[in-house]
Amino acid sequence: MSSSFNENLRESAVFNLSNAVTMVVDDSPFGLDLTTLALRGFGIQVRYSCFSAADAIKVLGDHQVDLMLVDCEMPGMDGHELVRWVRNSGLEPNAYIPIIMTAAHVRKSKVGDVRDCGANYLVTKPFSPSSLLERLIWVARDTRPFLEVGDYKGPDRRTREGRPRDRNERRSDMIALNNKKARSLAEAIETAEPI
Amino acid sequence: MVVVLRKERKSRLSAMIDQAGGISVGVALAQARANLETLQAQSQTIVAERVAALAALPEPDRAVANAVRAGMENAYEIASAVIDAAGPFELFDLCAVAAGLCDLIDAAQDPERFDWRIVTVHAQSMQLIMSLAPEAVAERAQVLDSLKQVIAKKIPGAEGETDGETPEADPV
Repeated sequence: MSSSFNENLRESAVFNLSNAVTMVVDDSPFGLDLTTLALRGFGIQVRYSCFSAADAIKVLGDHQVDLMLVDCEMPGMDGHELVRWVRNSGLEPNAYIPIIMTAAHVRKSKVGDVRDCGANYLVTKPFSPSSLLERLIWVARDTRPFLEVGDYKGPDRRTREGRPRDRNERRSDMIALNNKKARSLAEAIETAEPI
Repeated sequence: MVVVLRKERKSRLSAMIDQAGGISVGVALAQARANLETLQAQSQTIVAERVAALAALPEPDRAVANAVRAGMENAYEIASAVIDAAGPFELFDLCAVAAGLCDLIDAAQDPERFDWRIVTVHAQSMQLIMSLAPEAVAERAQVLDSLKQVIAKKIPGAEGETDGETPEADPV
C-alpha cells in the first residue's frame, strides 16, 4: 500500500476532484476550517459544512454527496454512529459514498467502532496536507467491493489480494492473534501498578 | 451460516478523478499549505489557550462522586483539542505529549485510582515545549523521553503497539 501511496503523491501526477460534492462534519469550527482550507487547496470546494451528525443527516436525505470527511469525536451522535447510519440508511447512492474519518486520538474502546462502522479510511491527526491528500486519492481509487455481513455494511475490510492461508478465512488468523494479544495485555495490566 | 452480500460499486469519485483538467499533486499541496498558513496564528492562540486550560485544571475532589472521571474526560477533550489545532502546523512534539496524555487517560481503568499528577506533568511539559526555542532539539527530546517512560510504566505493552497495526496504518 505504501508504494501506491507514493505513486499517488508523485508531484507531477494530476487528479481532478473539482466536481466532487463534498461534506465535512466536525463539531469544532477550527477543525472544520482546517479541513475545508486543505481541501480547497486540492481544488475541492466543500459544499456542505456540518457541525453535527444531525445536520449531516438532514442534508444527506435530500442531496447526493460524493465524499464525506467525518470527525470521530462529536457530542451527541458521534462520527462512528453517523457513518453507521449512512451505511444503513438505504439512501441511493449516499449509502455507498467514500467516507474518511478523522481523529485526534482513538480510544481503545472505540477501535472496534472505527473498524466496524463502515468508513473507508481513518486519518489520525496530526495530519499534514500531504497525508490527507494521499488518503483522499487512495480512497477515490479504492476499488474494494461493498459487503454486507451480519451487522457490517461497508467496504471490504480486507485489502490484500491472494488466497487465504491453509484455506482458512484470512481474518480468522488475525482475530486469533488479536485475542491472544488482548489476553496478554489484560494479564499485564492485572499485575501493573495502577495509574 | 454467515451470509455475505457483495456489491460491486464504483463511486462517482473514482470516475471523476481521472477526468480532464484538475491540478497536479505539487500544486495542490502548495495551495493547501498556503491556505493553512492563514490559520497558523489562530492555531497558536487556540493551542496556548488549551494548554493553559489544562494546566489550570484543579485536581478533582475524590470525595465527590464521579468528579475524577469528569476531570479526566475534561483533560482528554482538552488534549484532543491541542492535537486538532496543532496538528497541521508540524508541532509534532506538542502533539506527541497531548497524545500521550490521551493514551494514559484512556488506559486508566479505575478513575478513583488515577494519579492526577499525570495531567499536571503533561500540561507543564507542553508549556515547557512551547517556551523552548526551535533549535532546542535535545531539550525537547529529553522531555519526550521522560514522558515516554511514564507511558511505558503505566501502560504495559504500549511500546509494542505502534508497529504498524494501529488503525491509521490501514484502511478500516
